[in-house]
Order: sequence, then structure tokens, then C-alpha cells
Amino acid sequence: MKDVHMPNDVELITIPGNWNFDYRYFAGETASRFFAELKNSRRIMGTRCGKCRRLLVPARTFCEACYVETVSWEPVGEEGTLEVFTIVAAAFPGMPPPPFVIGYVTLDGADTSIANFIKGVDLSDIHAAGKSLLSRPRVRTVFSAEVQGRITDFHFELI
Amino acid sequence: MSRRAAVVGVGQTQYRRRHSGRNTAELVREAVTAALTDAQMDLDAIGLVVGGVAPDALAGIDHVDMGSIARPGIPYFRVNTGGATGSSAFLAGLTWIAAGRCDAVLVVAVERMGHAVTAPKVFNSIFDPIYERDISLSTLSMVALRATMMIQKYGYTLEQWAHLAARNSELSLLNDTLESPRRFSAGDVLSSGVISWPIHKLEIGPVSEGACAMVIAAENRVGSRPAAWIRGASGLSDTYEMGSRISRAEGALVDVVTLRRCAAQAYRDAGVVDPAKEVDMVEIHAACASSESMGYAPLGICAPADGPRFLDSIVDGTARIAVNPSAGAQAANPVSATAMIRIAECALQIRGRAGRRQVDGIRLAVATGQGGATQFSTAVVLGAEPS
Ligand SMILES: [Zn+2]
Repeated sequence: MKDVHMPNDVELITIPGNWNFDYRYFAGETASRFFAELKNSRRIMGTRCGKCRRLLVPARTFCEACYVETVSWEPVGEEGTLEVFTIVAAAFPGMPPPPFVIGYVTLDGADTSIANFIKGVDLSDIHAAGKSLLSRPRVRTVFSAEVQGRITDFHFELI
Repeated sequence: MSRRAAVVGVGQTQYRRRHSGRNTAELVREAVTAALTDAQMDLDAIGLVVGGVAPDALAGIDHVDMGSIARPGIPYFRVNTGGATGSSAFLAGLTWIAAGRCDAVLVVAVERMGHAVTAPKVFNSIFDPIYERDISLSTLSMVALRATMMIQKYGYTLEQWAHLAARNSELSLLNDTLESPRRFSAGDVLSSGVISWPIHKLEIGPVSEGACAMVIAAENRVGSRPAAWIRGASGLSDTYEMGSRISRAEGALVDVVTLRRCAAQAYRDAGVVDPAKEVDMVEIHAACASSESMGYAPLGICAPADGPRFLDSIVDGTARIAVNPSAGAQAANPVSATAMIRIAECALQIRGRAGRRQVDGIRLAVATGQGGATQFSTAVVLGAEPS
């Protein structure tokens, strides 16, 4: 910019601001039933696409690939395979204190993977822990003592 | 494409952590003016402006583009596909020329994330609030999740990514759009600390502000202007749900099916049969070294199983193709603009205007864009000749 606008002795002004809105996210009927199954029956349910026959987990109203409504509700196994993961090792605002593990698990019977925390992993050595989880280990669903109808009602632990 | 078109102007501000000396409109105008000057065109010649701004919340202004990009008297719309915003804006602008609605389009993308005191918190609000946000997913952990699959499936190592990051940091010293390039060694990367295993701190592109603008002209307006001809341009979307993309029949999560398919389409349009032999240069949009390597095979510049070896050939300088001569998004990653910058860098190289980072003999170049945790992919093929 030209000097006419930017004399050297002008102090650059920074105006403080914030953007802190509250929301309520409407889960809709399908996710509400999924959460009710977690809370009332401590089980994870999927919905099946009548066209491609995939069992979608967590439950979806429609198959995103075929764009048709799913046709049935089915429970999946309590165990599954840890497909991909990461060990979050640095602190971020609004997140749990590090280190913690998150990953996508394909539960037995499901055709898609579901994200959640992976607990019970020895994280004293991050690199060793990372390498040990690369083998796509088997995991088990563990429900919290207190359930409230949220995705955090359960997590996964290595078998 | 129904009408031939070319990039005839490129304008970029410097990319830096904070542009505290410019408001957003000033930043945009700087890039726009530079692009018009490069194109030897007046703003009156422009028939459409397409703006690219990713989440408003990064800038903390709920209408960043309305206050900074729209110019009275010219049609305008905005595009947002996350990290692919800049290249998606380019594709959108191109459609107007292809359809004959106008002869010259200005595309401009601006990133204002320096406003955000806690930018990661804004990034993490992109995730599904119903099923996923409570799991503390982040844009970084999305990269890390894919990286673990690349180790599992193709045998990449953390050391290889560290060497790639160091190689890119070396290149960044030649890029005059970067205010403060960071040079570091592979050892520095490996000792910089793990942010989200297997990703190290220094592997990740820095917080960056800046604006990029380009002028696209129909063939009848190119004249004697130095031109980078748009030989192919394609964009594809995928499902948001990462859990649905882990292991599909058409390809695993890290095989980036959308990128593979839109690259194939762009090559078909460009008449490229064997990209590994014909393409001179690629600009892969990737904020981390691991995600850069995820782009090689979908672009057809190496076979999927050869990815790690191809990475080594880039690091040791024996690769035939120039990969990210700008140093890529690992050197500067102004999210809204970053995918447009990849196209701009290809255009500069083809037009012989890349300054100290100019590579000799670039006649065919490919730029990619990736947005929304690889939900959106774009591929643009530029050439020195119209066909
Ligand atoms: Zn289906």
C-alpha cells in the first residue's frame, strides 16, 4: 500500500471480538432412536440399505451411496475391528487432555465404521502405542455406567 | 470443454500468519489488482467474479465476501467446499466461460484465519454434531487417521514423511509469496513433537492469511497474452461420512476415489494417456506431508504400491516430475485460497513467471484440491498449448 495511507508512525489497530453462539442440534428421528437404543438397551444399532444391502452404523435414515431410505433396524456385534486411529498427543481448546486415542471401528455385522474413543491403550510411549495399533486389532464396546443417550455413552477397548 | 479458455492473470498477496496491516477488502484488492495487471486487463472486462471463502467463523465475520469481494456492477457468487474452496471457485468461474455467458472471469479467494484466536476450535466445528463432534475429531486427527491407514496399507514410514516435509521446507526458500519460509531438517521434524500420531508438528502447514486471484479468459480474449491453457478441469464430491469411506469396493479411504476419478476425467479432456510420462509438474494440495503422498497414485504419476518409492525419488531428486515446486500448502496454507494457489502456481510455471522457483520446461501441469476431510476433490490440467 502507498505511503499516503501508511505513514511509518501509525500504530496498527486490532479490535477485539468474539463469536460465541449457543445452538441446539436436532438429531432427527433416526439418530434419536439410535441414541435411545444406546440409553435404554445398551446396544448399537444400524440400518440396512435395501438396495446395496449395506448395514450402516451408526443408523442412517437413508443410504448416502444409493440415496434411498434404509429399510430395517438391526443390532451389530459388541466386538469389531479398529480400522484407523490416531493418538492425539497435543492439547487443543475444547478437547480432552492428551494423550487420547480416537478411531473408526467396524463392528461385527456392520458395513461402515463408527468413530469413538479407544481406551485402555498403554500410552506411556506414543510411538510404541501407535505401532501396536497398526495391526487393525479387535476391540470391544464398553458402555459407561451412566448413559444419557449420546455417542459418548460407549467407547472401545482392546480385547 | 465447449469453449477453450486459459489462465491469463495471476495475483497473490504474500502469505503470512497475520496481515495486521490490511483489512480483508484491502487484501482482496491487492491480489485482484495484481491479477488484472498480469492479465493486462481492466476490471470492466470482467463478466463475473467468483469468491472463495471457507468457514466465515475463521474470519469471525458472517459475510466476509460481501464486505470484501463483491464489486458493484458485476455478477458475483461465493463458493465454499472447505479446503477445496479455491479450486471449486475456479471450476465455477470456468463454467460461465464454457457456457458463453462471458469472456473473462475473475476468481478470488481470501483467508482471514489470523483473526481467530483459537483457529483449531473453529476447524473442529466442521464435524457432524450428532454422531461425531463429541468424539473430539479435528482436521488434524482426520489427516492422522488417514496416515495410519497409509502405513498399514502401503508401508509409508514417519521418517519418509519427515524427509518429504524437510524437502518442501528447502523449496519454500525460493517462493517469494512466503513472508517467512521455515527451513528444517528431517531430524527437526522428528524431534518437533507428535501432535496427533503419526503426525509431527513440523509436518503441518502453518496458520496463513492471504489472497489469491486469477483471471480466466475465453480463447477469443487470450490474444498475445502469456497463457496457461485449461486442458481439463473436474471436481467430484463424496459422502461426508468417513466411516463409509474406509473400505469400499471402489477404493479405500486413502485411495481418494474422488481424486482418482476427477483426475482421470481431466486427463481424458486433456488428451493425456500416460500421466507418469506426460505430466511435467504437479501441485498437490496437502497441508501435511502424509496427505501429499496420498495424492501421488490417484494422479496416476505412480502405481499405488509404488507410493513410498516415488516419495523417496522426490526427496532424492530423481523423480521425473516436478512435485510441488512452490513447496505446497505445507509452506503456507491459507485454507480458503490454498487450492486456488495450487492452480495459480501451475499457471505461473507454464507461463514462465514463477520467479526463483521457476522450473525449466513445464508444459503440462496438474493441480489438485481437497476439501472437507477428502470429501471434495478437484483436478485441473493446464498446458502451454491450447490442445
Ligand atoms: Zn445403499
